[in-house]
Amino acid sequence: MTDEKPSEAEKPEDKKPEAAKPAEAAKPEAAKPADAAKPDAAKPADAAKPDAAKPAAPAAAAAPKPAAKAPEPVIPATAGKFEQFLKEHGIPCERLPLSLTIETIALSGDVLQAALRLLRNSSEVKLDLLLTVSGVESNDTFDSVYHLWSYSNLDELVIKVLVKKSDVPEGDLPAVPSIANFWAAANWHERETYDLMGIRYANHPYMRRILNPWDWEGYPLRRDYKQLVDSLNDKNPHSMR
Amino acid sequence: MATEIQEIDLKTDEMIINMGPQHPATHGVLRLLLTLDGETVKHTEPVLGHLHRGQEWQGQNRTWFQYQALIDRVDYLSGMFTSWAMARACEEIDGTVVPPRAEYLRVMLSEMNRITSHLLWLGTYLIDLGAMFGFPFYPFREREKLFDLFEEIAGQRMMFNYIRIGGVVRDPKPEWLDKLKRFLDEFPDRIDEYETIVTQNPIFLKRTKDVGILTQAVAKDYGVTGPCIRSSGIPLDLRRTKPYSVYPELKFDVITFDKEGDTWDRYMARILEMRQSIEIIRQCIDKLPSGDIMGKKQMAGMRIKAGEGFSAVESPRGILGCYVISGGGEKALRFRWRNPSFCNLAILPELLKGCPLSDIMAIFGSIDVILPDVDR
Amino acid sequence: MSQGNMSTSAKPNTNPVVPDELKDSVSISSIDFMIDALGQVLSPVLSPIANLARSNSVWPMTFGTSCCAIEMISVGMSAFDISRFGSEVFRATPRQADMIITAGTITRKMAPALITLYEQMPEPKYVIAMGACTITGGMFNDSYSVVQGVDRIIPVDVFLPGCPPRPEGILDALLKLQQKIRTENYAERRKKLYAQTSVRKVDYDTGRPLEDLIGVVKEDTNAALSSGQEALGDEAKGISPKAEEAKTVATKPVAPKVEVAKPEAAKPEVTTPEVKKVENTKDEAAEKADDKSV
Repeated sequence: MTDEKPSEAEKPEDKKPEAAKPAEAAKPEAAKPADAAKPDAAKPADAAKPDAAKPAAPAAAAAPKPAAKAPEPVIPATAGKFEQFLKEHGIPCERLPLSLTIETIALSGDVLQAALRLLRNSSEVKLDLLLTVSGVESNDTFDSVYHLWSYSNLDELVIKVLVKKSDVPEGDLPAVPSIANFWAAANWHERETYDLMGIRYANHPYMRRILNPWDWEGYPLRRDYKQLVDSLNDKNPHSMR
Repeated sequence: MATEIQEIDLKTDEMIINMGPQHPATHGVLRLLLTLDGETVKHTEPVLGHLHRGQEWQGQNRTWFQYQALIDRVDYLSGMFTSWAMARACEEIDGTVVPPRAEYLRVMLSEMNRITSHLLWLGTYLIDLGAMFGFPFYPFREREKLFDLFEEIAGQRMMFNYIRIGGVVRDPKPEWLDKLKRFLDEFPDRIDEYETIVTQNPIFLKRTKDVGILTQAVAKDYGVTGPCIRSSGIPLDLRRTKPYSVYPELKFDVITFDKEGDTWDRYMARILEMRQSIEIIRQCIDKLPSGDIMGKKQMAGMRIKAGEGFSAVESPRGILGCYVISGGGEKALRFRWRNPSFCNLAILPELLKGCPLSDIMAIFGSIDVILPDVDR
Repeated sequence: MSQGNMSTSAKPNTNPVVPDELKDSVSISSIDFMIDALGQVLSPVLSPIANLARSNSVWPMTFGTSCCAIEMISVGMSAFDISRFGSEVFRATPRQADMIITAGTITRKMAPALITLYEQMPEPKYVIAMGACTITGGMFNDSYSVVQGVDRIIPVDVFLPGCPPRPEGILDALLKLQQKIRTENYAERRKKLYAQTSVRKVDYDTGRPLEDLIGVVKEDTNAALSSGQEALGDEAKGISPKAEEAKTVATKPVAPKVEVAKPEAAKPEVTTPEVKKVENTKDEAAEKADDKSV
């Protein structure tokens, strides 16, 4: 029942894209009470069919006004609070305009430990909940991403340490200093990132694979990971896949 | 007065024992390498990964539409929360607006899921402590009633696939709401029944009082969240501190203790949370608005705009977070789950230091760890 | 049923034979043969009764890795009671269990544990593969760390699809298993050693099947030996590897030290290849021992 509703909203726009331009322009006012509840049901259809629905798009987008957020992330006008804080204490950092809601800062590996100690222990900024340490592989970098929240206030921060793929010598792993020695939460997260993404954390007390078997070969979440095929997961020759 | 016992100087040595992946009491497959001195635990090394199925790898290799159906298994006792975390993260990137009726339904069903999760925790905790197949019949009876309600609205008893990006999938009928109201009317008596059996039970008290005290310093260092940390005095509940969805409009208490909690406190925190969930569901039924329930068309090739997002929900175990990197295509670029069980399990070696062998299960059960949440 | 055929044609084959190594300590008297023959004659009468008794009391083992384990617990609870079908208790130890319901995904890291548990179960033992993950890998079809179906490592009797199957589904699978037990020929099953020989072992540290690893180790040692042999002179090639191995096995703890001390005293050309060979064969013997113990 409910699946039919969005398709009903879709149908008039799909069937009359270009021919009914003035009709569409007049329609949003009439269709507003009906369509006001489904502004975003119309939006994906617009995104999927840009050519056909372009004349309809501005008309339909004009109808639902303040409910939708801006889709593209824009660099905010003011400098970020944590970026200022870190720069005041002499740590070079750079703000990345990646997310709308959380401030994202890029650091280099050598200042990482000092920055995190500062953010955790200073009295004005108490980011003491390390949510997760993740490894991300993008086109030209390996990132080690730290999500920081606070137990006592509402601050949120994302720190990224970017290691360029070109900086990593052949056959070696990208290296990032470990924070597990003073922040116990990072211990297992860093082991997991090493296991799945292959980012090596220097001075980690126990750098060993945690989720895969200990002598596993390869780093599964990398893009160039080839799955090992043996008698445990070879495909049935009659299989459709 | 008493005769002095002559202490013979025995030469003792430490023993490394494997509490293997298959054990009647582990909540899933966790292997603990215990170094024991007599019966006291000196050191523990948890060996994880026996249930590592590659859920994050699946996030990169399945389309958005497909992956929504698969993530219920990440934390199978609270499948609604994992779906919700993913949906919130994707909605943040995409700018989708979720209709208010869908928000209320999400809260309602998630709180029902919280109740089922805590009921199962209660049943299996008592199995761990030795009340094997005696007590657990009670909470599972309530779980069956909730499962019938879930099956009617979501189609499945456990892997709901109900909360999607943009809303929820099916609208409840008025009869379903009546059934839910009837369940809520009789459920507080059932919780009283459990409490009569367990809470002041002398065996239970002896096994759980002053056992596994979690200090605030250790908890903050390890990033513990959920009832574990709330029973140790830190009032971090995402529903109250960083409210999301319609929680700002609902009245409920955040169960926080004002001392550093032991396992009995963690047990009590979950029982009280179940009672709070009943209140939340009642308020949701009363305030349920009419309208649409889906804000984004669910189709096989659906896309999320490019961007990054992180969002978290308060699951029965703690803060469940989802970090999504989207490239604008049909598949995600990276899906990273922040699982509460993974972070909470890290305190186990700290808590087990110096404990007798019999306390291991009491402490481990009270952290409420679920292994696919740990291993993904 | 097919038990009528057995009594006429299978008699000469089923006399128990003592292996060569035990012939001096074990002997089978004629009374053993008579009792054996009596058992075979009576089995058309006794085995249906025995099978009926066995099928109504199949005790499962608590082996639940994942989501299906919750449905298995639910089937043990009062709503879908499994004990009314005979599975009165779930035994935690495999030594006392009849059946293993593999409820949950089996990963490569978990596979050795499952194989160990299966081998620890005494005969007759049965397996119900529960859930899509254990039938074919299920949802985790392409996953790098999931064994695509538990029948790749242990023999399965009943496959139960579902993700997770409803508790009534588990009961249905149990009833089908009971029917299978009632109609099976237990003596044939014992003869074939069906269960023991159908297990595929997996290495814990790498997550790969042991056959592959043994192949790799054999290749490596052969390559090392052959490359070592080419570097030697003629006298080294005259030394047979078996004699070397017998020497090192007999004097294992002492041999390396003795061989290392020798080069100063004796001719280096003769002793260094011996040192190499000793190391290689010792490693090979050690690796073989390791593989067997896993």
